[in-house]
Amino acid sequence: MRISLNWLKKFVNINLDNAELEKIIDSRLVEIEEVIDESKKYDNIFVAKVVECEAIPETHLHLCKIDAGSHELAGEDGLVQVVCGAPNVHAGMLAAWIAPGAIVPQSVHEDAPFVIGKRKMLGQYDSFGMLAGADELDFGDDHSGIVEIDPEMAKPGDKLADVFELNDTILDIENKSLTHRPDCFGIIGFAREVAGILGQKFNEPRFEEYAATSSKQVSIESAEICPRYSAIVLKKHGEIRKKYLTLEDTLLSKSGMRPVDPIVDATNYLMLLTDQPLHAFDYDKFLAVGGTSEPKIGVRLAKKGEKLTLLDDTEIELIDTDIVITSNNVPVALAGAMGGKSTMIDENTKNIILESATFSLYNLRKTQMAHGIFSEAITRFTKGQPAYQTLNVAKACAGLLSDGFEISESIDTQAAESKNNVVKITTDEINNLLGTNYSKNQIIDTLENVSFEVEDGDELTITAPAWRTDIHIKEDIIEEIGRLNGYDNIEPILPKHATSEPNKMIVLKSRIRDFLSHTGANELLTYTFVHGDLIEKVGQDVNNSYRLVNSISPDLQYLRQQIVPSLLVKSYENLKAKHQEFALFEMNQVFLRSDGVDEDGVPIANSNLAMVVASMDEETKYYVAKKYLEALAEKLGLKLSFKKFEATKHEAYFEPKRSAGVYIGENLVGCIGEIKFSVLNKLKLPRGVAAFEISLDELVKLASFKKVNHEISDFPTVSRDITITTAKAYEEIAKAIEEKLSQKELIFEITPTSIYQPEGKIEKNISFHLSFADKNKTLESGEILELMNELEKIA
Amino acid sequence: MQDLEKLKANLKALNAEYAKIKDVPVEKRAEFGREINEKKTAILEQIKAAEEAALESEVEPLDITAPVAPNQKMPEFISSENGSAHPLMTELDRVIEIYQMMGFDVVEPRQLDDEFHMFDSLNFSKGHPARDGYDTFRTEEGFIPPAHTSTMQHRVLKAYKKNLGEGKDIAVVVPGRVFRNEDVDATHEHTFYQCEGVYVSKDCTMGNMLGILREFFEKYYEQKLDISTQPGYFPFTEPSLEFKIEKPKALGGKKGEFIEMLGCGMIHPNVLKMAGIDPTVYHGFAWGGGIDRLVMLRYGLKDVRYFESGKLNFLKEF
Repeated sequence: MRISLNWLKKFVNINLDNAELEKIIDSRLVEIEEVIDESKKYDNIFVAKVVECEAIPETHLHLCKIDAGSHELAGEDGLVQVVCGAPNVHAGMLAAWIAPGAIVPQSVHEDAPFVIGKRKMLGQYDSFGMLAGADELDFGDDHSGIVEIDPEMAKPGDKLADVFELNDTILDIENKSLTHRPDCFGIIGFAREVAGILGQKFNEPRFEEYAATSSKQVSIESAEICPRYSAIVLKKHGEIRKKYLTLEDTLLSKSGMRPVDPIVDATNYLMLLTDQPLHAFDYDKFLAVGGTSEPKIGVRLAKKGEKLTLLDDTEIELIDTDIVITSNNVPVALAGAMGGKSTMIDENTKNIILESATFSLYNLRKTQMAHGIFSEAITRFTKGQPAYQTLNVAKACAGLLSDGFEISESIDTQAAESKNNVVKITTDEINNLLGTNYSKNQIIDTLENVSFEVEDGDELTITAPAWRTDIHIKEDIIEEIGRLNGYDNIEPILPKHATSEPNKMIVLKSRIRDFLSHTGANELLTYTFVHGDLIEKVGQDVNNSYRLVNSISPDLQYLRQQIVPSLLVKSYENLKAKHQEFALFEMNQVFLRSDGVDEDGVPIANSNLAMVVASMDEETKYYVAKKYLEALAEKLGLKLSFKKFEATKHEAYFEPKRSAGVYIGENLVGCIGEIKFSVLNKLKLPRGVAAFEISLDELVKLASFKKVNHEISDFPTVSRDITITTAKAYEEIAKAIEEKLSQKELIFEITPTSIYQPEGKIEKNISFHLSFADKNKTLESGEILELMNELEKIA
Repeated sequence: MQDLEKLKANLKALNAEYAKIKDVPVEKRAEFGREINEKKTAILEQIKAAEEAALESEVEPLDITAPVAPNQKMPEFISSENGSAHPLMTELDRVIEIYQMMGFDVVEPRQLDDEFHMFDSLNFSKGHPARDGYDTFRTEEGFIPPAHTSTMQHRVLKAYKKNLGEGKDIAVVVPGRVFRNEDVDATHEHTFYQCEGVYVSKDCTMGNMLGILREFFEKYYEQKLDISTQPGYFPFTEPSLEFKIEKPKALGGKKGEFIEMLGCGMIHPNVLKMAGIDPTVYHGFAWGGGIDRLVMLRYGLKDVRYFESGKLNFLKEF
């Protein structure tokens, strides 16, 4: 929405400079998206009288001499010569003259604004500047001729900007921040708020109270879809005044609308003024469509499949939540959104039905979305226009057209008088919520300035004006007091309250992040949504993923079941970007449909940690992944074991012969392994890529700060290397050594140093570095020798 | 292996059949060719799968308990200078740390929720146009990946209601991932992070809310900051505000230059009521704001899309 400050100032006395005004509007009423400075837009454009006007033979041009006051370009006769191509140029008229050196207003916001100069036309006629049409002056799209100015408004030499108050500043308002304030979508309502902010009593411009003259009925399907429908029938009694450029035209333009036709312009002007949208039907066409001799107006829901051709010539298929205006049950307009072609106003229109109504914002919102109509009218209706002023505004509009039309009858469905909302509240309740110390008088003044009625007492009894249908509860009044007096005047004070508890999961994730990022791994965040193809490529069941019905693209259609597949995709991209080797990890939530819902009825969420280790060298990365996982576990005070396990479908991308279940005690907490060859192929990854995915929900239950091996001996530590030849799994051997050393009650550390498997042999040589010490004494060499002999028997 | 040979034989037969194309009437050749090609593609895929299966069947088992593969060097971590923590997560940890210092508990949100928590429990009336403003995704079942962390307000209020009974306040923040169905560009992501704050007590005020928010941003940016507000509209707060801070000097801010940080307001009595808290005895305030932009400002990043890109070139800078 665009607000002209010049127009605003007609309703409220503003003694701030524009920058201060903008700031205070921004902080107490609404977000200003842009401030458009139009103070120079009409510089060097003058009102000029066409004194002489001669047709140039064999062209459409006229050679004109104009009186632009005492302009420096005037010749001895006091006149300036301009060649004009407009068909309506004639001697005696007042026109708008863009003097040489001025910018054509239409082009002001273009990259290369068009500067008017002196030209020689047809090789012989000097032409200074130009006589401008409405389009060139940026007052609409009319290019049929030049604008004519009412001699009662101006004289030759006047600056156009002075006559039409064009030195202006336009505020472009963010509509979203007024979602709940339909009353602010008219300049009067906006001005009322500005008055309130400035601490002034707003002087309400009163529209004539008007009552319907006819008892004719409008058939309305339900008051829910159309709370009030008013209409005035106007009969033509004369010509609408010759079309001079009017102040209203310029206001429409400044507000972002285009003047098109005197009748339509009048309806639009009233809407910008009062926020009540109006619509004009051609009366005679309305009768013709319905085949009736009297208008039979109806408002109903559209029937599915009904069609309607709109003003802009598009034919739409209606949906059953659309509201239509009907003539004898034939749809003639899409209510609140756009009029129909069949009853459209044109230059032959004799009689008019002027509609002023309110409609269900819920239905209109659906209409807006279904048909993509974002007209000024529907923008206002979808905020929930109040019903109090429909007929009065229609009457005011009729008044604007009174030189061409007179009222023949008026119709109104207004049922019972709508009750204004009343709220009771105390001064303390207001101050206690805001943290302020406003006096009762200040509170009363604040509200009365914007036309609330306040009855003083122990409690204030506050009656909201008819247009404030959004006022229901105490908090609504508190908002008015806080906002109009400025939230920025509230002193920020910290409350005193208790200490907090740490969140175990967040602490855990922080520790993991810290450890892994310091040991060379990279933390990633990847999308929760993945492509169905990826799910299938890694062998998961796509039906086990929650599917979005309105995804942005197929790439983002399914909620992922695990994190590893996303990291595999990122591994490919990073290998392609010439990173030779890396370990990527992510901690995030995943969902499996098969997990079902929790007690709130929402899907069970699983928090996981995943890592992928990839390298161009095609060697197995299983042991690197395992080293990361084991080292991490040790940091978290956890001892892991790795066992064969049956992978579930969503882990089916692990190569069964090269993957393991990860256990803490008896608890399976995740899995680790190489990725299957077929999956790697599909994802264009080299062989050997390994990964793990671990449940953080399990880890958080078990993690601690305890050290797995903590004991330290005060006696000398012995170091020995040992190699054991065996066909058994590594773990069995390591465990056997461990047991032996434990039996002797030694404090020890077992570090594997290599596994060597001679070619063609089943046995491996597993080498360890051992360090051990006794808790109570220095070990003697005999004891050490005996121990080593025992250990060497393990095989 | 027999399967593979059979498939290869089929392929050969198909190729032979294709040679017959010259006997097919000209007008039917295109269709004939297409049919053969379709069959061929199918067989080639089957062959590829069979070959992969064959290779997989030849895969040697690993000793899953060992620290290293036979005859290989002991595995090592990637060299530590390559490591990186995600900047969003690092900053989120910092945000959490500051709020914890200020006495707030932390609750993590869920990434799939429902209509009730997203809208109903937050005083959005049924069918209200404001629901459209959030561009929510939906699953077939009607679940919603939350479009704001406010989705957790109802749960937090219910879970912490007991605090009020014990004479304590409710003071909780909810940092986490949210989703909106919008086109992605340098400043918009469909997946991003927010942090919600919820505070309820008998006597808290809007002044307290402004105090907490200013304190947070001063701690976060490590300098004194001016704040300013703007009226806003959210169905779940009344009054509602947009909260701005003076752009910090470290970020090249000039005096009087304000940047919008979050939306906030006094919790609507209906929201408290729905969680079983008596709004005539208690009131509260809540706020929610984006984390991504906070981080972008702090690090001088220009493109939000890098956060979820997984590009090591970007991540290794952190």
